[in-house]
Amino acid sequence: MDLGLNRRRKQQKVIPDGLKELYPHDLNFFTVPPSSEISLSEFEDLAVERLNVLRILAFASQKPVKQFGTEWKNFVYEELQKQNLKKFLRIIKSSGSSNPSELDYQARRADHISHFILRLAYCRSEELRRWFKDRELELFKLRFLELRGASVQQFLEINNLHYYPINEDERDELREQLIDSTGGLFILDNTDFYKVPFSDVPNLVRNRKVFVQSGYAYIPSFELVTCISNIYRHTLSENLIYAFKRMPLLDDDRINHLLHNLNDAYTGKDYSEVNANKSEIQVGNLDKHAKDHYPLCMRHIHETLKANHHLKHGCRLQYLLFLKGIGLKYEDCMEFWRQEFTKNIDEDKFQKQYSYLVKHCYGKVGSMLNYSPYSCVKIITDSVGYGEQHGCPYKQWESTVLKEKLESYGLRQENAIEISEMAQKGHYQLACGKYFEYTRFKENKNVINHPNQYFDESYGAIKREEFE
Amino acid sequence: MGEYTEELLQELLPLFYSRLFPCNSFYRWLSYGSSATFKLRELSFTLLGDIYIRYQSFESMENFSNELNKHKPIKIDIGAIYNHPPKYKTQIQKFGPVEKELVFDIDMTDYDDVRTCCSGTDICSKCWKFMVLACKVLDAALREDFGFKHMLWVFSGRRGVHCWVCDENVKKFTDEERKAVAEYLFVKKDGHKNILFGDKIHTSLRRALTIIKPYFNQMMFVEQNILGTDEGIKKFLKNIHEEIRIQSEEVLRSVEGSEARWKVFCDYFRTLSQKQSIPKIYKNTIEELMLLYCYPRLDINVSKGINHLLKAPFCVHPKTGKVCIPFNPKTVDKFDPATVPTLTLLVDEINKYDQITKEEEMADGVNSSKIKDYKKTSLLKSITVFEDFLRNIERELKQKRKPTPMEF
Repeated sequence: MDLGLNRRRKQQKVIPDGLKELYPHDLNFFTVPPSSEISLSEFEDLAVERLNVLRILAFASQKPVKQFGTEWKNFVYEELQKQNLKKFLRIIKSSGSSNPSELDYQARRADHISHFILRLAYCRSEELRRWFKDRELELFKLRFLELRGASVQQFLEINNLHYYPINEDERDELREQLIDSTGGLFILDNTDFYKVPFSDVPNLVRNRKVFVQSGYAYIPSFELVTCISNIYRHTLSENLIYAFKRMPLLDDDRINHLLHNLNDAYTGKDYSEVNANKSEIQVGNLDKHAKDHYPLCMRHIHETLKANHHLKHGCRLQYLLFLKGIGLKYEDCMEFWRQEFTKNIDEDKFQKQYSYLVKHCYGKVGSMLNYSPYSCVKIITDSVGYGEQHGCPYKQWESTVLKEKLESYGLRQENAIEISEMAQKGHYQLACGKYFEYTRFKENKNVINHPNQYFDESYGAIKREEFE
Repeated sequence: MGEYTEELLQELLPLFYSRLFPCNSFYRWLSYGSSATFKLRELSFTLLGDIYIRYQSFESMENFSNELNKHKPIKIDIGAIYNHPPKYKTQIQKFGPVEKELVFDIDMTDYDDVRTCCSGTDICSKCWKFMVLACKVLDAALREDFGFKHMLWVFSGRRGVHCWVCDENVKKFTDEERKAVAEYLFVKKDGHKNILFGDKIHTSLRRALTIIKPYFNQMMFVEQNILGTDEGIKKFLKNIHEEIRIQSEEVLRSVEGSEARWKVFCDYFRTLSQKQSIPKIYKNTIEELMLLYCYPRLDINVSKGINHLLKAPFCVHPKTGKVCIPFNPKTVDKFDPATVPTLTLLVDEINKYDQITKEEEMADGVNSSKIKDYKKTSLLKSITVFEDFLRNIERELKQKRKPTPMEF
């Protein structure tokens, strides 16, 4: 991890010739760490600049517009312009590798160094790593999509990614299959197809968006970005873990201080601790809380439990961890679980088959880990099987089912329609925010990212008001 | 001995493990040509009284066989291959799974909303057809779409089937790769969002449809009679998109009988289609319905994780007494769960055989006691299936490990 973190301040020296070899392309896979010297103030500036770029992306991705669509892109570019992040604007919008100027090389250098600084700042916990990875991936995808003409193939060659389109004969032979099995709008004869191992594009495969034969996926050129960014995500994941392990070797206080401050600037909340202040949650009040303060996903599970006195495994996990997160004590939770389940089964069976998971979720048995309640991302991406009730209702339910359910909860018809339309467009978290507004009769200021955050903003807010 | 009852289990299991369980083949399978591999495998036992012991591992076939005979588990589960022998789990810091077969689990209870003949744990020859189709569709997809070669299909002992994909490269799959394959082969059903493939049908689903079609009418409308009742019609209509739901109901109720109703619905739908009054994304509704009813319903979580355990072949199901026997997917049509050998049947068969040979030996004065016990029973067929599967794996391993001959 030689970042050239020299203890003495030195004036930066730029040697354009060296830069030329270091940065042959605008887009960088970040496999080689920088090894030049850099002043502390530049170190800091670059870190903050890139962090701002990533935050713009995070903000843009919460907007109800299509990611990487024109509107989304324009928003990002305007923000970059507004915040005077010119180097990054230059490097994102550039078309690749032809005729770079001195300014291009400076931008490439800034991009390279700042990425590695943030790697250090964001490698220290799973949450941080995930946030950083998601943002960097958005940035990478955006940049890859902006590449034009030959620069795509150049980028692939520079990084030893051997992908070549299948020839016309093969494409003609597979004509029918490619038309049937490839998602998206395209004209077969104008589209190149790449034959790649299916494990390079797991997301395309699992959503059945590509033709798969004998272990190879045939991806259209417009999905090449999915394939390459998946490889990028893998290397970045590994590198972040590597950085995390090497972190203790970095013993410069000034740098550590800076990295820590960047880290603090991240405000996502961890709900894994049973909060002592909140632990006045009583089992007897759960029905009322479910009605008033639960997000739809949890309310549905709660009501299913009350009606059937049984839940499938996925449901049990999702709900137990949520209960832990809102502050239900272990003993109370176990009692609640026992009361419900033993309405259908005997005590002995409960102890044998169902009590273990409660203990497990509260970190009392097994690997004794303190499991975090599931976030929206986790809940949304989890797959839900037959007859299972967990997952995100806005994603899982058919829009008529959702609409009826919302109306049965007392929402006005037009509001229920508005929410189910949002859900249909894939804006699950925004739909959840609307549900909050219409049931709590107040504005939802933050995007809902976590069921426990939802509960906190609903129930916690009341408690705080009472307190004041 | 007559019918199997649960009380007989304890009495018959010792005999089963000492004389019938194919320990040798089982060991050969999980060794994959190297005894070191077997030592790293997690096997877990369930003992009488639901005592569950995880993270067992065994040094050798003798060791495994002895422990089996000693503990007489009512169930054996197979887990992953770990980086260290699982029995030393607590002594190792970085203990974790490294390889495992890709597994699939299909259970009849997941079909309860589309079968009318039985429910819960019961099965009959009518609803078993769902399993036949699941096996055919899945086997074809695994072979053709993913190029896998070594699948072991096993009857799960009561009402389902398991599939073990044992190719060398598959065992090394990451969770992400497992998830990709599993979800590719997983189709959502009603209550949740419908299958909706819009105006195009993926090649893999097209293949599934060709497999399902010849069975569909007889199975769903004659045998399951799903449109025969008021309730059935209501359930069916939930899967029809809103705009034509009311008319569809009228059409269905215009005739009597399940099969006739399906026919008028199809005619009605095709007429609308020809008039182009069906929105493009609903144009494959009939195909969607076929998949909705008959496409394999996987318990997807079993397939997704490397460390998920699955019941081993040749276990005895404690409730039914049936042996979890491997079967050949090519002849799955002939597989009848009702004729799967039970513990009691097997014991009877051995006794009968011994009785006859004893009489013959008395007459001829020849000693033929060297014959393996399972060969005296109806377990023979499934052990042959298992042995064939093993031979294929071993042949491939041999070819791979043999250095390629030099060319001159």
